[in-house]
Amino acid sequence: MNPLPDPVASVLRRLRRRLTIGVFLDIWPRWAFGSLLSAGVVAISCRLFIPRAASALNWLWFAPVIASIPAVLLTLSRSYRPEQIAALADSLKGGEGTLLAVLEIQDPAWVSSRTIAGFSQLPMPRLRAWRKLGAIVPAVTFLAIALMMPQRTPAAEKGMLANDIAADLQATLNELKKQDVITPNEDKEFQDEIERIRKDASEKLDASSWEASDAMREKFAAKLAEKQDAMKWAADSLSNFAAAGDSDASMTKALAGELGTAIDKLSQTGLLANAPADLQKLLGGKDAIAGGKTQLPKDAASLRKLAASLSKYLAGRSGELAAIGKLGKEAGRFDPTEFPLFSDERGPDGDGDPGSGGINRGRGDADLTWGKESALTDRFKSVPLPPGSYRSPDDWTPLAVLPGAPKESPEPSLASSGVQFAGITGPAAVRRTLAPRHYSAVKKYFENSK
Amino acid sequence: MTEQNKSLLSPDAVGNAQARISRLVSGLRQVLLGKEETIDEVVAALLAHGHVLLEGLPGLGKTELVKALSRLLSLDFRRIQFTPDLLPTDITGSHILQERDGRKDFVFHPGPVFTNLLLADEINRASPKTQAALLEAMQERRVTTFGETRALPNPFFVLATQNPIELEGTYPLPEAQLDRFTFKVEISGVERSVLEEILVTRVHGVPPTLEPVIHANELQELFAMVDAVFLPRAVANYIARLVAATHPKSPEAPEHVRNFVKYGSSPRGAIAIGAAARGLALLRGKPNVGFDEVRRIAAPALAHRLVLDYSARLEGYDGRRVVAALLDGVSEVERGLPQTLEAR
Repeated sequence: MNPLPDPVASVLRRLRRRLTIGVFLDIWPRWAFGSLLSAGVVAISCRLFIPRAASALNWLWFAPVIASIPAVLLTLSRSYRPEQIAALADSLKGGEGTLLAVLEIQDPAWVSSRTIAGFSQLPMPRLRAWRKLGAIVPAVTFLAIALMMPQRTPAAEKGMLANDIAADLQATLNELKKQDVITPNEDKEFQDEIERIRKDASEKLDASSWEASDAMREKFAAKLAEKQDAMKWAADSLSNFAAAGDSDASMTKALAGELGTAIDKLSQTGLLANAPADLQKLLGGKDAIAGGKTQLPKDAASLRKLAASLSKYLAGRSGELAAIGKLGKEAGRFDPTEFPLFSDERGPDGDGDPGSGGINRGRGDADLTWGKESALTDRFKSVPLPPGSYRSPDDWTPLAVLPGAPKESPEPSLASSGVQFAGITGPAAVRRTLAPRHYSAVKKYFENSK
Repeated sequence: MTEQNKSLLSPDAVGNAQARISRLVSGLRQVLLGKEETIDEVVAALLAHGHVLLEGLPGLGKTELVKALSRLLSLDFRRIQFTPDLLPTDITGSHILQERDGRKDFVFHPGPVFTNLLLADEINRASPKTQAALLEAMQERRVTTFGETRALPNPFFVLATQNPIELEGTYPLPEAQLDRFTFKVEISGVERSVLEEILVTRVHGVPPTLEPVIHANELQELFAMVDAVFLPRAVANYIARLVAATHPKSPEAPEHVRNFVKYGSSPRGAIAIGAAARGLALLRGKPNVGFDEVRRIAAPALAHRLVLDYSARLEGYDGRRVVAALLDGVSEVERGLPQTLEAR
């Protein structure tokens, strides 16, 4: 481009710069679009699985800037060559070709011509960047939405919560074990149940996990209540036995039998497992207590000794059990007093039936009634239909014809149109206008003959 | 094979040539009123040593144009009225048994083709055999009879006319013969203002008498200068892409070409565009061919070289409409503007 006058060379340099910008804007939006989409996917992945990366996610906005590096490299590799720039300049100026000829031959006689000088007023192509940049907007929106997503609770925390639930239950169980109120079999059963709840919660943590925990606590409470009942029964039986004294032998024997049954029940609950040695000896030994088949002493003296020893033991244990009894209340058993609205026996609608809608459709298992049914022996009676009427063509006679209504016009029939062109033969027939409705037939004919 | 010059014509030479050609053009414009584009096309074809097929209805001045051209160029002019019973020897000439110096011998009597400017009037009325007699003359510029080949005068132009109607008893020119015409120029009807001008200036419709404006030696100089008009590489590339795109299987072919064209142009079409564009460039006072000359020349040079499919007729497309679609579909420069840039 050396032989050209300075103004023309300057214009061509401007054109080259503009073309380079155009090439860059052709390339970069695709890369930016791709990088923003990738950044959005990364953001979503981090939101779902990598909470530690949350603080660094805003750096993803720099993805288009990074994408501009390969775009610049591609732009440089695809930049316009000088002869291509000259051809474009000539074409933009009207396509006279003189600039091309001068650059190719470098004839000084035409370099200073008016035609070449006119290139200093070359109309530069306009930049229409939004055509390409518009495609980035959805990608930017995608990344923005991805970054606005809340951070998902990771699986590790779910496991921690499951362990917390299991640990609470285990603490309760340990407390019960410490107080010697559960048997080894019960202990194993509870341990297995706690482990199952922990496993279920670590797989899927939802309301059912806490419901299972509550159910477990209820089990603890039920077991404790059972032991309290056994202890109360034993205490009552013992007091009755002590009150009877030696007044009535048959009564004493009956009360002794009830006391024996109560002690058997007490031993089955495991409350006698850690009883004093003398008490265990009076009841037939450790094995009898563990098997729940205790034996009361036969002589009255030993029996009184047993009553005294058992009373002393139960007095000590009852205090401990009363303290543990709090566990039952904390276990979340249904307490009607917590729901004053439903404490009324007649219910909120006052009808005493389940449901509060006020409409009673009866019990679900009530017998169905089918209304008035015919008997098997009844016969159907024929009922004649009302008489019909025939429609006359006069029924469709127009009452009035509005102005502007379409009128019938006689179209030439297929036969008459054939007659119309029957006399035309030779080249005139070839030049005859083909009706559009016959196009498909003619196309089909020629395509079959190909 | 001659390569083009590696220098541009000087501004003075171009100016002189343009002045001479302008005299020829203005003379033709006196005869054929309101047909500036047709005259430019005919002159450009003649400057490129090309033959022209003029197509138009009777009475539009086709014959007058050719006659005026012969008068202005002071060239020998012959006219053949083609009829179905015309024989090849009626064109090329024949050997006649003749007594000379006491002995009988076959003596060649040249036909009307031995001229500078041949008007083949209503060429499509002659039989294909007679039409074919023009083939060698048009392409090789020589005639062979009885095994003897004779060169035709230089320059030699064929300007043929044909009537697009009254096709009864005519023989359409085969593609091979059409290809030998540089241009097929369609002469359309005249406008009302032109008719008014004709009525005022010509009492009996007789055109004004013309005097020669270019003599034989000047014409040869003009031919040499036309050959020296420079064709830039980018413009040659445009011509090549245009002609290649006339083929329906070409990847650059526009949709209309793929749909309507059965066979595209031969390389002779590209040569014709290049040569005629040189002539047009000199007519416009330029030392080189530009994209605009190519666009101007493409329709008359390519339209008759395209073999159209039946579907083109169904859709009402002729060669010129297809070429117009071709010009819209093929960009001037091989690598156009980036998509984000728009020409003003």
